[in-house]
Amino acid sequence: MTDPTPTTPPPLTTPEISRMRLAYMAVAMRDPNPVHVDDEFAKDIGLPSVIAHGTFAVSYVGAAVSRHVGVDNLRRLKVDLTAPVFPGSVLTTEVTVRGTEGDLVVADVRAVGADGTEVARGEVAWVAGS
Amino acid sequence: MPVEAGHRFPEKTVTLDPWRVGLYVEALGVAPEEGWAPEPGNPVPPGFLMYVTMYGADAVHDSFHIDFRKAVYGGMDAEFFAPIRVGDTLTVAPFVSNHFTKSGSRGDLTFVELTTEYRLPDGTLAARERSTTIQRG
Repeated sequence: MTDPTPTTPPPLTTPEISRMRLAYMAVAMRDPNPVHVDDEFAKDIGLPSVIAHGTFAVSYVGAAVSRHVGVDNLRRLKVDLTAPVFPGSVLTTEVTVRGTEGDLVVADVRAVGADGTEVARGEVAWVAGS
Repeated sequence: MPVEAGHRFPEKTVTLDPWRVGLYVEALGVAPEEGWAPEPGNPVPPGFLMYVTMYGADAVHDSFHIDFRKAVYGGMDAEFFAPIRVGDTLTVAPFVSNHFTKSGSRGDLTFVELTTEYRLPDGTLAARERSTTIQRG
């Protein structure tokens, strides 16, 4: 069964991705990469400061869809990271439905910063009618 | 020598601890569903299923000779086949699904693609996640 008029998940504007959020994420994921918590390390490798885990952009895109269709109806979450995300950033997700494939709705997704910089893009699929 | 494509890491059994899933959602500041709470039986946010979180990064990164000074996380591609709940115990089995080097004008880039399968206790494949890490040199 397919949904002839799939509804589009609305944009999700994230909270500010503060340094505290990065610290919590490092612990939650047990991510050993110092680039998320150590400014000196980040500067040594040419970055202006620490950067957010890729998990933030991936997860916000996932949440934008799962809040609309329900976690159990999400079938695919593909996100490529295209630019670093720095502390203090606020991201907005965009979902554009491409159509249906079988019983799935397939959509393009992006996440952009406040200045319009694209930080992630990809594709999602969810069960039609959900 | 780094591991080659096809290499399989030993399976691990991982329980989705409510406290840790809750901390991840607190870090994001956005719940996966309206009114969601990190309690056993509730859906696991899809972004939580990453090999770093679910398997542990060190054993995998050491095998690839990942150097954080040269490496970036490129992204993930996850497919979901069966519901996964907070409190579930999953079998987590990563393998190297692709590993190659591209030569460019600014030197070599090594791509490591790790695919991780998440199975429920009855053996059902619940999710498959592919993560790509890119390293200079």
